[in-house]
Amino acid sequence: MPEPVVDVRHLTKSYGDFVAVRDLSFAVHPGEIFGLLGPNGAGKTTTIRILMDIYAADRGQVRVLGEHPSRVRSRVGYLPEERGLYRNLKVMEVLVYLAALKGVPPAQARRQAEHWLAQVKLDGWAERKVKDLSRGMQQQLQFVASLVHDPELLVLDEPFQGLDPVNVERLKAILQELQAAGKTIVLSTHQMGLVEELCNRIVLIHRGTAVLYGPLDEIQHRHAPRRVRIRTSASLPPLSGVARVERRGDTYQVELADGTPQELLRALVLQDVPIHSFEVARVPLNEIFVAVVQGEKPGAAERPETESQEAAP
Amino acid sequence: MNVQKVLVIARHEYRVNLRRPGFLIVTGLVPLLGLAVLLLAALASGPTASALERVFVGRQITGVVDRSGLFTPLLPEYTEVYRLYPDEARGRAALATEEVDRLVLVPSDYLDTGRITVVARSTGLIAVELEEATDLERFFVAHLARDLPDPRLRARLVDPFEPILDTLDRESGPQEGGPLSIVGRFVVPYVLSILLIMTIFVSSGYLLRSVAEEKTNRVIEILLSSVTAQELLAGKVLGLGALGLTQIGVWLLSGFGLSSGAFLLLGLVIPLFTQPTVLLLAAVYYVLGFLMYAVLMASVGALGTDVQEAQQLAGLFSLLAAVPLMLASVFFANPDSALIRVVSWFPLTAPTAMMLRLPMAQVPALDIGGSILSILGTIPLILWLGGKLFRLGLLMYGKRPGVREILRLLREA
Repeated sequence: MPEPVVDVRHLTKSYGDFVAVRDLSFAVHPGEIFGLLGPNGAGKTTTIRILMDIYAADRGQVRVLGEHPSRVRSRVGYLPEERGLYRNLKVMEVLVYLAALKGVPPAQARRQAEHWLAQVKLDGWAERKVKDLSRGMQQQLQFVASLVHDPELLVLDEPFQGLDPVNVERLKAILQELQAAGKTIVLSTHQMGLVEELCNRIVLIHRGTAVLYGPLDEIQHRHAPRRVRIRTSASLPPLSGVARVERRGDTYQVELADGTPQELLRALVLQDVPIHSFEVARVPLNEIFVAVVQGEKPGAAERPETESQEAAP
Repeated sequence: MNVQKVLVIARHEYRVNLRRPGFLIVTGLVPLLGLAVLLLAALASGPTASALERVFVGRQITGVVDRSGLFTPLLPEYTEVYRLYPDEARGRAALATEEVDRLVLVPSDYLDTGRITVVARSTGLIAVELEEATDLERFFVAHLARDLPDPRLRARLVDPFEPILDTLDRESGPQEGGPLSIVGRFVVPYVLSILLIMTIFVSSGYLLRSVAEEKTNRVIEILLSSVTAQELLAGKVLGLGALGLTQIGVWLLSGFGLSSGAFLLLGLVIPLFTQPTVLLLAAVYYVLGFLMYAVLMASVGALGTDVQEAQQLAGLFSLLAAVPLMLASVFFANPDSALIRVVSWFPLTAPTAMMLRLPMAQVPALDIGGSILSILGTIPLILWLGGKLFRLGLLMYGKRPGVREILRLLREA
């Protein structure tokens, strides 16, 4: 197993009496998009600032790209949530300066800046002042500033904030391209739909502690209610391991007492029940997030969305 | 500390602040004022010269109505600033039309009584003027003694002595030249000191502004992900220190250009030859002072929520550092007084106090050593405390920490 790009072990950070991060551990693997999630005030920004060596940890170990964070600043790109740029400077001037702080020579910085400005459709704005750009354009410029030095690891705190749907799609595509090129991305956002689309694994922090951690699909599977929706032209025979069955027209809502949906499907096929569709309920991440943070069981409040699985004939 | 990054920041700060309208105006204003004075001087040649001289230099024309006959005719060397009138009426008319600035009536019994009447257009400061009227006194002495056979005695009566300045505590020995020597030895270095102090405040003001703007713009967190707070602070201090030196350089060079070297000669060469130690020590205090105030200003700038608030907070330190400037009269009267010694030793006032004090007196080695040590001892403390406040303050958006919170932050940083 390759060494994690980010390795956080038993991290703790307090401000006075307030514990912002408590015994937090997680790892980010090379080439993945990792979601760092949590409600406001959960400790995400503190964790990110420790990863960026802006804050020092009280306790615990943090390794980034195998080193102490202070030693790898030039190999990491960062888009903070609280962000801005020099409004009175020209776009190219800002990018070349920020790249120079990461050790990139001006000529190379200029070439890379031109490439990334073109990627976000800002190529005609290089010699304009930052204050002349619209808010959305400034957002994209800040994103470019975080990767103009070609970092191995990109830490993005709310990168989609303030972007219109077209630019959200463009940014998603760029992130996927970066991942395909082998870059590792730590993504912090409240937009759970985008996390579901982009992230391989996540950690959900609540009150400074990791409450969910692992591959996203596993987490969603783990939190899915034991509920299956079956559409059939026949009546369902009595089935073992089923707690409750509700019928609405040709659709049955089946709540499992034990066993898995696979075992139920196998039993139906063995009994030669004609199945038109077999859906395992899947809980959206947003619901898991809310439920975990509020201490409720996910799927209890609302009817879950489902993921369709066409049954074998 | 990564020196390359420090230099990148220094270059950036220098270039960005060099283009600031405020910097360009302040830097350009001093040479422009010099140019304006020169233009006025050029205009002042010819017929307008005496009028302008009267306005700007204060040279006054005196009308004389001489009933004693002792002043008629006027000695040739006084005919430019003294004019004889045959009677009081014509003299008063000349005063009313501003042909003369004052009228002196010398009665026929002057030799017996010594009484004269001085007529001015308004009372104003005429009494003070008469007290200081050495010119008028010389005019009287020169005319009363005109018939003395010994010209040397006549000259000594008019101008009794040419002072040679000497003190027990001066290394450099007696100084000739009278008032010009005083200008060379005291006033010019004093003005130079004030100029240096000004650049310290101007540059550290830019530093404060630069930090506060980066905080307000929210660009600071991006910077801190690339460099440490110490590197950022060092780069800013270096870049803006260079900017301050550029400002002095522009002023000196433009002064040199405008006055064909006279300014430079007066400002640098005279003190350099007469008091090289003073100049060397002034440079030491300049560097130490800039370093101390710059770090202070940057830290305070980091604590404010915006530029205005940062400037208000910094005002406290500026006021403290400016205390020696407010004590200028004490410096002139007694540069070795207990009060001056206290502000020379107190680290926050020591750089400005010593820069003012050095040209004024032979400062005891104890005071020089003590003040330098107190600054040197304070700088690491300020760098340490300031560095912490700078790092923590930078990321506190939207609120200014109270004293209790600052103390807590310092404990935890």
